[in-house]
Amino acid sequence: MLKQSILIALAIAIAVGGGAASVGMVLNSQEGIGAVSVGPWTAFPDIGTPEADPYSKARVARDGVLALGRAEGLSFVADRDSAGVTLKSECNYRIEGSLPVARFWTLYATDRAHIPLKSGIRRDATLHSLEVLRQPDNSISVAVGTRPEPGNWLSVTGVGAMNLVLTFYDTPIASSTGLSGIEMPRIVRVQCNA
Amino acid sequence: MRRLLHALAIGLIGAGIAHIVILLLVPSFSERDAWSRLAMVAGPNKVVRLDQEIGGTPVVKALDPSFFEAACRFDLDEGVVRIDNAGKVPYWSVSVYDRSGQNIYSFNDRTATDGTLDFVVLTPAQMIDLRKELPTEFERSIFVETPIDEGIVVVRVFVPDDSWKPTVSRFLDGINCDIQ
Repeated sequence: MLKQSILIALAIAIAVGGGAASVGMVLNSQEGIGAVSVGPWTAFPDIGTPEADPYSKARVARDGVLALGRAEGLSFVADRDSAGVTLKSECNYRIEGSLPVARFWTLYATDRAHIPLKSGIRRDATLHSLEVLRQPDNSISVAVGTRPEPGNWLSVTGVGAMNLVLTFYDTPIASSTGLSGIEMPRIVRVQCNA
Repeated sequence: MRRLLHALAIGLIGAGIAHIVILLLVPSFSERDAWSRLAMVAGPNKVVRLDQEIGGTPVVKALDPSFFEAACRFDLDEGVVRIDNAGKVPYWSVSVYDRSGQNIYSFNDRTATDGTLDFVVLTPAQMIDLRKELPTEFERSIFVETPIDEGIVVVRVFVPDDSWKPTVSRFLDGINCDIQ
């Protein structure tokens, strides 16, 4: 009798615990249904729309997100560099390549909880397209790190895993047809100070 | 041993069922969604700044630091809601969300005829009523028909650099979100 009730308790514990844990795990991962990946960058074009899948809907409700609308823009998040290694705020990176068409874009770094990183100095911890220097072929090259660098520099501070967020505003790629065959910049690790 | 395996198998199947049930219940039972967070800060038709410039923790997560944003909750049962402001800023965009935070409608400053923020949120029935005799103050407004009664309007404004911060703050603080 006791043995049987222990087995029942075990089954219930696995069911409830496993169910809750698996939902939490899926919602915390950057991957998921509805994700569009271009190189290291991931976007959720359907997130926050009535057409979104149940996972996106749960993510919106849990995090209190008010996602950008189609006419506003589309946000790409990278948590790994182009070699597949986790991004860390103590390392230096270079973001190189060409970008999709948009009225303007912004670039900033966040921690894993999506809180934007501070620059640590009197300088904005963000970059946007109206202030960047471009290469002769209209591509960009941005240095990301704690040390100042010539050219475009996104200043970050802190230690630990980080995300890079690249958001395009008023862009044709926000409608799903525009997402096929777009080009996104590479994220190359230069060196780590740790 | 066989009974232990049996219990484990039932547990795993149950975990699959619990996964689906929990996933589908999260949106309806979440007390941390945008609507609940806004309701804790301000009443309906009150414009709330979402960025950190007002101090304290941000009301809504995952905001672009190059943007200042303001939101207000509305209930169309009491009448049409008009959001307007006369100022000029480099870029603004507006989204209308339903009660559960889903984006219903969005547009930006290129949609407006002269770039000024002036729009009216209303239900299709209110639109029919309004069309019969259009009040003169609505002549230049954009009409946003929504199938919902309760919702959230968010206005986002781009801040290119520090010198724009006072202008953008004034623009957002001057937004009206009143029932007409």
